[in-house]
Amino acid sequence: MKRASFLAVGIAAALVLAACGEDDDSEPSAGDAGSTPEPADIRVWLTPDTIPVIGDYLKTTFEEQNSGSTLTIEEQPWEGLVDRVTTATTSESDTPDVVELGNTQASSFTFAGAFTDLSDMKEDLGGDDLLSGLVTSGTADDKLYAAPYYAGSRVVFYRKDLLAAAGLEVPTTMDEFVETATALKSANPEGVDGFSGYWLPGQDWRNGQALFWDAGGDWALQEGDAWVNKVDTPEGIAGLQRVQEIFTNASGAPKDGNEADPVTPYCAGQVGMFSAPPWVVGQLTDGIIDPATQEVTAPGCPALTTPEILGTFTLPGSDGQAAPVMLGGSNVGVPATSQNQELAKDVIEIMLSDEFQTMFAKQGMLPAKSSLSDQLPQNEANAALGPTLETGKVTPPAPAWGSAVEGGRVLEDLFVNIANGGDVEQLAADTGAQLDELLN
Amino acid sequence: MAAMTSVEPAGPANAQPPRRRPKRTRLPYVLLIPAVAVLGLGLGYPLVRQVVMSFQEFGLAQQFGQAPVWVGLDNYVALLTDSYLWAVVVRSIVFCLACAFLTMAVGVGMAVLMTRMAGWARVVVQVVLLLVWAMPWMASLTVWQWLIDSQYGVVNWVLVRLGLDQFAGHSWLINPISFFAVAGLIVVWMSVPFVAFTVYAGLTQVPHEMLEAAQIDGANGWNRFWQIIVPMIRPILLIVGLLQVIWDLKVFTQIFTLQEAGGVTADTNLLGTYIYRLGLGQGDFGTASAVAMFMLLLTVAITFFYVRRMLRDEEEL
Repeated sequence: MKRASFLAVGIAAALVLAACGEDDDSEPSAGDAGSTPEPADIRVWLTPDTIPVIGDYLKTTFEEQNSGSTLTIEEQPWEGLVDRVTTATTSESDTPDVVELGNTQASSFTFAGAFTDLSDMKEDLGGDDLLSGLVTSGTADDKLYAAPYYAGSRVVFYRKDLLAAAGLEVPTTMDEFVETATALKSANPEGVDGFSGYWLPGQDWRNGQALFWDAGGDWALQEGDAWVNKVDTPEGIAGLQRVQEIFTNASGAPKDGNEADPVTPYCAGQVGMFSAPPWVVGQLTDGIIDPATQEVTAPGCPALTTPEILGTFTLPGSDGQAAPVMLGGSNVGVPATSQNQELAKDVIEIMLSDEFQTMFAKQGMLPAKSSLSDQLPQNEANAALGPTLETGKVTPPAPAWGSAVEGGRVLEDLFVNIANGGDVEQLAADTGAQLDELLN
Repeated sequence: MAAMTSVEPAGPANAQPPRRRPKRTRLPYVLLIPAVAVLGLGLGYPLVRQVVMSFQEFGLAQQFGQAPVWVGLDNYVALLTDSYLWAVVVRSIVFCLACAFLTMAVGVGMAVLMTRMAGWARVVVQVVLLLVWAMPWMASLTVWQWLIDSQYGVVNWVLVRLGLDQFAGHSWLINPISFFAVAGLIVVWMSVPFVAFTVYAGLTQVPHEMLEAAQIDGANGWNRFWQIIVPMIRPILLIVGLLQVIWDLKVFTQIFTLQEAGGVTADTNLLGTYIYRLGLGQGDFGTASAVAMFMLLLTVAITFFYVRRMLRDEEEL
């Protein structure tokens, strides 16, 4: 009897609280869990890509909704992100409260239990409307640990004037693409030193792997309980040879460089074609801006980004359809060690609100909710993006992929060695064996 | 006061004045406590954790709270039978000795040079050395990266201007030998000021009269350097050399930064970066700890004779 009445009171209280929570959004979201979280400074780790778009909005919105608390965005470069997240999130005193990770990196952390379980928020965050690919990369053991943040795919940007000057057409198959890139480099219409028909720095496996996948290669596939590499296969080797062809004949980019800054070479007139997400146009026009200091770290070149000069096409595959480019994206999670779980979850809620996600769409980034994709601006770059969403691929969703393979720079090494003229068959055999070992 | 007086009275009944025995005091031990505590916390705890972890399978999941699995010597066996570790070890030792030797040679040379300079020139050199020493590593590494950048670096630009066209777009980091040459240059450049200043300080303590006397006896500069100066500052040379060996064996920042800038990571790992990539990069903390233990033993082995000699020298003094 006593227990029953206790239960009843409990249920009633829960209903009341739930009602409070639904009540409205302008109230500080204090009532959520039945207790007001202590005001705190919430530290959010974001990569450079999205900060210019949503940084200010996130900070103001959060601080309006949680008076007394502040929000600090700490920019984290992609280079070495896995290492830093590993170090910081294990310590209660050092951990940020919200962390963005690349979708290929997230799995290592979700399976390790680094993040708080967000499953009970999933419906509120968007439920089935959330991009399924990113839900998968943030899910471990059927629980959502890292929510989708935004997605990105890649298109090929090209200099219309240079292609025309060299008498070349926009390619429609992979063979044509390689031929065009090679011919464009040897034509080098403006006689620029270090010119690339297709700009591909040696470490850039993220863009280069489209050629590998198109030839039928794969990094690894799950067979039973084991991950088995598909690099050391005839298709894989053919794909990597194609990558080497591009490196040798079409790219003038540094053979061991990374892809962090395409703006400087593009604005120096050294790039005929290159792959990037559509929002790179903003960087090419305005330069790369350090969000902390507002300083331009690499100046842009508006004169080279007019519609007459800068064009876009979908990387064509061997079958004439779109080639399988990497479907990128990010997940956001709350480290389990964070002392501000409630406030951190509020940040995640803001990040997945329609208003916030629409800001991504307006910039040509794919919002994490499929219903908002019609908000993408109608332009050439986004039109070229469409077909890649069907054919795009992700790296193997193995738990060890993010830490062991990306953290160990396995593919960076492979691509630099290929760019440097290494023996592809030998490299494929070595890398394949390495992947078999690391993923299992 | 009361205590004092109560000790005094009623000594032994003989007439001899009481012999003052040196009073044993605990004060020195008390004074040692803070230092020992700091060492114990700062060094001892991590070291114990590291030893323990090297016998465990300790991955990312363990980092976030799962219980580790004891694997005995598995980590060590896996490592010692892995040819890659030995490649890294040989690479590290060669790199360390080459850098330490070069640093000592250049540093001592600079120090001797400073004793011969006009006053204003010495001040200029010292200011320059001090700036090199004081510059934050990341800042100077960024400048070095820009210097050797394959497309926009000033080094390649100058070489091409001099007519060496093969350096257009040349990558200084992609070939491991060239990578280590650049890394070695940076490491030596960063460590020379310390050696130069310390040895210079030692040189100012070498008595002038002795050198003068030797000169009158007909010893030339070379002989005076090797037979008078070097033996006199030998303790300084030994300790500075020892520090260089230890620092250059555990070199990390320079290698790590250059790896991100270019070059093949697997071909350019030294012990420091290998441990980092294994542990923090790949989340395999057990194996990383085992490598770190191995590195500790290696450091002790390399420096053992050195330290013993240094201790013997001290006893002789």
